[in-house]
Amino acid sequence: MSSRVFTVNRNVHPGFWPIIIGHWETLKNLFRTLVLRQASTIQYPEQKRDVSRRYRGIHILAARADGTPKCVACFLCATVCPAECIHIEAGERPERTIEKYPVRFEIDLLRCVYCGFCVDACPEEAILMSRENDLVGTSREELIIDRDRLMRRAGLAEHGVGYRPTDHDLRRPVRIEAIEDMKNRYGLNGPRPRR
Amino acid sequence: MKCMIDGREIEVEPGTSIILAAQRLGIRIPHFCWHPDLSVDGNCRMCVVEIEGSSKPQTACSTMVTDGMVVHTDSPQVRKARRATLELLLVNHPIDCPVCDQAGECYLQDQYMEHGLHDARISLDEKVRKRKVVDLGPIVLDAERCVLCSRCIRFEREVTGTNQLGFVGRGDHTEIAAFDNRPISHNYAGNLADVCPVGALLSRDFRFRMRVWFLESTPSVCPGCSTGCNIFIDHRDGEIHRLRPRRNVSVNRSWMCDLGRALYKGAGAPSRLLGARLRSEDDRGMIPVGEALDLLSSRLRDAGEDVAFLASPQATNEDLFAFQSLCDAVSGMLDFRVDDPQDRMAVLEDGVLLRADRNPNTRGCLELGLGRTGVDAIMSACRAGRVKALLLQGPELLRTPAAGIFLEKVPFVAVMAENDEPALARAHLVLPAAAWTENEGTFVNFARRVQRIERAIEPPGESRPRWRLASDLLARLSRPLDATTAWDVFRLASRSTAAFSGLEHVSIGESGLDLDAIKES
Ligand code: SF4
Ligand code: SF4
Ligand code: SF4
Ligand code: SF4
Repeated sequence: MSSRVFTVNRNVHPGFWPIIIGHWETLKNLFRTLVLRQASTIQYPEQKRDVSRRYRGIHILAARADGTPKCVACFLCATVCPAECIHIEAGERPERTIEKYPVRFEIDLLRCVYCGFCVDACPEEAILMSRENDLVGTSREELIIDRDRLMRRAGLAEHGVGYRPTDHDLRRPVRIEAIEDMKNRYGLNGPRPRR
Repeated sequence: MKCMIDGREIEVEPGTSIILAAQRLGIRIPHFCWHPDLSVDGNCRMCVVEIEGSSKPQTACSTMVTDGMVVHTDSPQVRKARRATLELLLVNHPIDCPVCDQAGECYLQDQYMEHGLHDARISLDEKVRKRKVVDLGPIVLDAERCVLCSRCIRFEREVTGTNQLGFVGRGDHTEIAAFDNRPISHNYAGNLADVCPVGALLSRDFRFRMRVWFLESTPSVCPGCSTGCNIFIDHRDGEIHRLRPRRNVSVNRSWMCDLGRALYKGAGAPSRLLGARLRSEDDRGMIPVGEALDLLSSRLRDAGEDVAFLASPQATNEDLFAFQSLCDAVSGMLDFRVDDPQDRMAVLEDGVLLRADRNPNTRGCLELGLGRTGVDAIMSACRAGRVKALLLQGPELLRTPAAGIFLEKVPFVAVMAENDEPALARAHLVLPAAAWTENEGTFVNFARRVQRIERAIEPPGESRPRWRLASDLLARLSRPLDATTAWDVFRLASRSTAAFSGLEHVSIGESGLDLDAIKES
């Protein structure tokens, strides 16, 4: 692509005309917002912005039908993570078919850069991302999110599942305890946002 | 005898296999069943190469080089044969990589990425299923992952002579099995996990502990006995996760024993001493190491010549030399023997590697001339109350049952130790020492081979290497040692010790030097 060069004359002639144009713009927007109610700002946090289906928000760990983590503690996500914010400790599963699972799985959300590489790396589709993006806490420790919180995240039904490995997968059902929980508690559409 | 491999000429002795000749040229021929320290079996067919004048590919492990032979290790014919072999090996393979501890150092993974990259033509439900997670004591067996290379069988036959493993079944259903599923009972089980090129035999101790690609390897020497097996310390972020043998044909070949393998646990144990501890009337308090050294040096100065030093054959030559210099500075009594370990130094306990003397550096003590006063003389001086201060380089003496009687009349006993134990209560002052994994230096093994250990991790808390504790004391006695690193200490030692004269840590190299051979040359 070739670029074009504009020359801008910054020595604007003084006079009233530029001031009038400026005010006209301001008044136009004032009218739009106050009278036509077309403001582009939203009333956060009561109102949330609608984000893409592939939004990379706070992580989710998927569960198997029996409620145990789908993750097999292969460490691929921790290996690929550029922020080195995933901490896993592996353990032996009591039954001998899957063998391995994470006894500890922690993500330091303050270090995470939300690149989604961990989701791409996972061979089990065990780590996914939600569309939740408001991260609030009163201490650093609180924002290191552990295995059980990753598996059962309040607010998930409200925001929904976000980034997953391929678009094809967006059509597949994902079993996440949190979603099941929320569905049972609030019905299919999740809790209504507060007004 | 000359041959050409991939267009490069090499001269080898008669009886050299192609795989070895290629290795010398830096060409790695892929293989599963060949192992440099086991007999040649030639069953995996992965190492095939093309030899000019022969119509079919030949196995590089079992074909000897002949004069004028021309070998191609990467021709289209070879690549095709390799791919076919690899695809057959993977037909029934479970591809457990996410949960398999071998992943990252697996021959199947590496060779698939390098030579295979084919798509599977067999679906998962068509694969032959075999036994998984079979408990063989220190080893966990997964028969599905086995590539039937028979390395483990040959190890059991040729190295330990125990013959506990064998193949059962036929064709697709052949699988590796231990007789009656009995646990592997010998002291060399860990080597089975190393020798297995895939994840069929894995270590129980290392199971799920860490992914191998995170580990950093530091070359070292096992301190478990006077053989001095060469090892790698595999660690990550200051924590040691395993020890594994480092090949040295003159010492341990590719093996090490399980007793040695477990030695990393001491260095990371919760009982590690992090500071100095002084026994006093009211309490046994922790004090800063600097303060402890001040106290000890003033005690040594006050005691004049009535001090005794007992070195430890667990310490490196550098530790010993600094300790000896400390003794010379106050002209005290010096020895190292606690129950005469050098008597058993060369005794092989089980015919493989383990020797009866469980100290790595008894020979070093002898070379440095630490056996001076005689332990009996020191002990009788202690009992007669003629010793005002006793400095121990290790807690060995305190552990002996008779220690209480000997030490009764000694007013001040100081000991350097890594881990806290009840026996340390017999000493008045405990100094925290760095473990062997946190120290660098040299050991001399039973056969007078000087070998290097290197620091893998940092010493915890205030603990420091024994040579540094001694040199800190020397500085306080205004006789400073002219050394800032362990290698400086070795240089000092090489000046005053005949056996080490002219040696430097660089010249020792990673595989050590035979002191007898140097003298002859
Ligand atoms: S999103 Fe990126 S930075 Fe965050 S945990 Fe995953 S890989 Fe690490
Ligand atoms: S990549 Fe997936 S299966 Fe592997 S440890 Fe991470 S979440 Fe678990
Ligand atoms: S043996 Fe190798 S290829 Fe097989 S599952 Fe283990 S790591 Fe993967
Ligand atoms: S268990 Fe390992 S070493 Fe033994 S035959 Fe199978 S692949 Fe080879």
